[in-house]
Amino acid sequence: MQAVILAAGEGKRVRPLTRGRPKAMIPVANHPIIEYVIDALVKNGIREIIVVVGYRKEQVTRFLNQLDVSVDVIVQDKQLGTANALLCAESKIHGDFLLLPGDNYIDPHSIARIRDIPDSMLVKEHPNPSNFGVVMLHEGRVTQIIEKPEHAPSFMVSTGIYCLKKEVFSYIQGNDLTDAISSMIENGIHLQGIPADDWQDAIFSWDLLKMNRRLLCHIPAAREGTASRQTIIQGTVSIGKGTTIGPNTVITGPVVIGNDCTIGPNSCIMPNTSIGSRVTLEPFISIGNSVVMDDTTIGSHSRIIDTVIGERCALADHTSTSTGVGLMEIEGRVTRSEFGAVLGDTVVSGPFTTFKNSIIGNSVTIEGRSCIVSRSIQDNSMVI
Amino acid sequence: MCGIVGYVGRRDAAPLIVEGLKKLEYRGYDSFGIATTGNSIALVKHQGRISENSGAAARLTGKTGIGHTRWATHGIPNDVNAHPHTDCTGTIALVHNGIIENYAELKRQLLSRGHTFRSETDTEVIVHLIEEEYPGRKDLLAAVQAVVPRLEGSYAILVISSSEDRIIAARNASPLVIGIGDGEIFAASDMTPIIEYTERAMFLEDGDIASLNRTGVEVFNREERVARPVELIDWSVEDVKKGGFAHYMLKEIYEQPQAFYNTIRAVNSDTIPWSSHRPPSITIVACGTSYHAGLIFKYLLEDSCGIPARLEFASEFKYYPPPVEGLVIGISQSGETADTLSALKQAKSHNCRTLAITNVLGSTVSRIADSTMFMRAGPEISVAATKSFVAQLAVLIQLINSLCDRKFDDILLHAHQAIEEVLLLDLTEAVAACKHARSIFYVGRGPFYAVSLEGALKMKEISYIHAEGYAAGELKHGPFALLSPETPVIALCVPGETYGVMISNIKEIKARGAPVIAIGCDGDAELPDIADIFIAIPRTPVFVQILTSLVVLQLLAYHTAVALGRDIDKPRNLAKSVTVE
Repeated sequence: MQAVILAAGEGKRVRPLTRGRPKAMIPVANHPIIEYVIDALVKNGIREIIVVVGYRKEQVTRFLNQLDVSVDVIVQDKQLGTANALLCAESKIHGDFLLLPGDNYIDPHSIARIRDIPDSMLVKEHPNPSNFGVVMLHEGRVTQIIEKPEHAPSFMVSTGIYCLKKEVFSYIQGNDLTDAISSMIENGIHLQGIPADDWQDAIFSWDLLKMNRRLLCHIPAAREGTASRQTIIQGTVSIGKGTTIGPNTVITGPVVIGNDCTIGPNSCIMPNTSIGSRVTLEPFISIGNSVVMDDTTIGSHSRIIDTVIGERCALADHTSTSTGVGLMEIEGRVTRSEFGAVLGDTVVSGPFTTFKNSIIGNSVTIEGRSCIVSRSIQDNSMVI
Repeated sequence: MCGIVGYVGRRDAAPLIVEGLKKLEYRGYDSFGIATTGNSIALVKHQGRISENSGAAARLTGKTGIGHTRWATHGIPNDVNAHPHTDCTGTIALVHNGIIENYAELKRQLLSRGHTFRSETDTEVIVHLIEEEYPGRKDLLAAVQAVVPRLEGSYAILVISSSEDRIIAARNASPLVIGIGDGEIFAASDMTPIIEYTERAMFLEDGDIASLNRTGVEVFNREERVARPVELIDWSVEDVKKGGFAHYMLKEIYEQPQAFYNTIRAVNSDTIPWSSHRPPSITIVACGTSYHAGLIFKYLLEDSCGIPARLEFASEFKYYPPPVEGLVIGISQSGETADTLSALKQAKSHNCRTLAITNVLGSTVSRIADSTMFMRAGPEISVAATKSFVAQLAVLIQLINSLCDRKFDDILLHAHQAIEEVLLLDLTEAVAACKHARSIFYVGRGPFYAVSLEGALKMKEISYIHAEGYAAGELKHGPFALLSPETPVIALCVPGETYGVMISNIKEIKARGAPVIAIGCDGDAELPDIADIFIAIPRTPVFVQILTSLVVLQLLAYHTAVALGRDIDKPRNLAKSVTVE
């Protein structure tokens, strides 16, 4: 069986984290989201995997190359929409196939449920359905899909995961896949809606924290680096090769730490934290429920909570983030949000900076003692 | 990374395996070997590339066989360490891709039970373990099933025995594909060797053990028979190898951050040969791109360590040897460059200490030089060197670092991030300015003069546009006469001592009507106004600026060549490694 993974779109609502990678490549629990999708397929014995790439295609392709499974890479030159992306792969498809978004987590069991039922889709209840395609079901059959409605008539949403026959291509007219599926339904094709077990989508950047929390439940414990004998490690903790952990550091799992990191001494890593590779956490840091990507340095005496930090950031000492509730305007839509901070790549901040409920763009420089509350700062800005 | 191939069927196995291994050369090419079985095991293995030395191997007879092409990371490549490996009796042969992590312990146990080990590889323990299990069972499959649970690590293995007409395959965390033909079965690390013969493939899962004979495949997992679906594959061979990139060169450009980082990590005080005393002077011999790496090294070494350095073309050094003393460093990606080899021999005959820097473990240069340092770029296929150049620089800069009490450690460990950053740059404007040019001039000062030479070389090599690099001050002494609106000038102008004088050079060039593409640092206030096109690289220490500006020039050459429709990976008249004088 073939599977097509769509990983061409940028994921604008997750900016600033998508400057150097599409949403599908954002690391959650230290693996890009698309890797979980590929894993789930391989666990179902599906090896013929086609990935449609577009935005930052080289970065995606380079990553796919070093995977154990060989995948077929197709380039979508202009990111016109999901249906257009699927059309790019048309010539490679020769029968029933699975269609999956590369930027949503899906568990292998759910895939097993639809893989043998052509013309079916995975659906899932979601507390905020209006960000998705809302699905109307009647006796297991999909009767209607309403894309991002203002007032959702049901809590059941489309996961974007389908098992389709090749005939779907004859229904594609515009650039949007939902339109093609709707037109299939109108033409009397029975599309089964099958509930998914565990499906995670991060609509906004702060949703990554929830996804991270979910995916950290599955990590295996590993101890490849060197931890000082005075380190206290509880729960499931994975420590990568070459990482050194200084004395009197307390790590409470689930926590994953990548390769070649330097942590502590006297630091505290609290549950639900993912730390990438080559990260330096200086002494006396407390960090919890956060995602820290590769090559970032966080200065001593910092407190980081409910925060996503991009690659190559340098935060000076006494940085603190605290959780706040606020309204964020993302792509012209105002949304309620609750998180500490989301920092893009290469953010540099001075000592004693505090963040609360704020999004900081890529390559932003922040002077020491700044207090950033409920703000969204553009890329390449300077905060004085 | 290594490549393995197996065949069982109606044809002679050896020629098929030879062809298959050639297609897997992109996974490694420092040694290869083939074993076939008829009534006994016939075995040929050699150091070197299979594409250059396959004669004897292809003449083996037998309709069942296995082959291996190696890229050594531990244990030098030589005839003995090449796969396949055989047991003490020579009746079982095995090829392996992966790493056996508990091999040291297994080897101790096997030695104490009287086994003789011929190679230094981890692989050989597997074949001896199978040898112990085989006589009691008289069944190769059962023997492999008994051995596999004792192995830790990653492996894809193929085993044959002289008394059975089948291949046993096992896999854990290393790739292995089974191809199913008509009355013949293939096994390989990926689809490339197989696709020519069959499109039907079966993928083994971790922990699977399969018995392949000409009528079919039986797969077992934990001693239980399991079914693995047969899938139809319609990939073209080239696609698989390039892994979705349009060209090898682009693939390799994007692998540079990793190549740099791996090399910086791998070259440390333990692998640097003279940690005890510093040489009075250093002479570097190299050709082509490696010469440019040497030039950058010379500037940085003299500046940071105060050790006088001299740089010579290897091809000149041999016939016109200057009086040399101190240390002589030869740089060659392939380790087989004829000129560099003979220059190093020449240096040895002058009683100089010699050091080789190469990408290929066990290549000729490492046998000639007193000591060798390896870069970790991985196999490079594109003729135009990119990632091997960056890895050469990593080795050389690490040398400087060790001579300066490792004061650059922090910078080096994070330099790859800056390379990652410039890979995101959009060069469309600059490409448009270059693609219709008759000539392109590259100018820079200090180490950036070397960078401009390399940038010009890349442009010449793949786009066939005439390109020259000059030290910026030299432009006035002649080449100025060539400037016109059709000759873009690429100026490397980063903050530092030469910034001011570079700015005035750029103004002079502009005054002669030539369009200027300036590469400068982020946040530069002056350059964007003076230059026609401004490309910003991150503000970093000079070591890192050298790398990032280089990557920009590589990308510029690549995209210009693509715009002109050139054959990027095999430019006309050029060869990857020059093994003649």
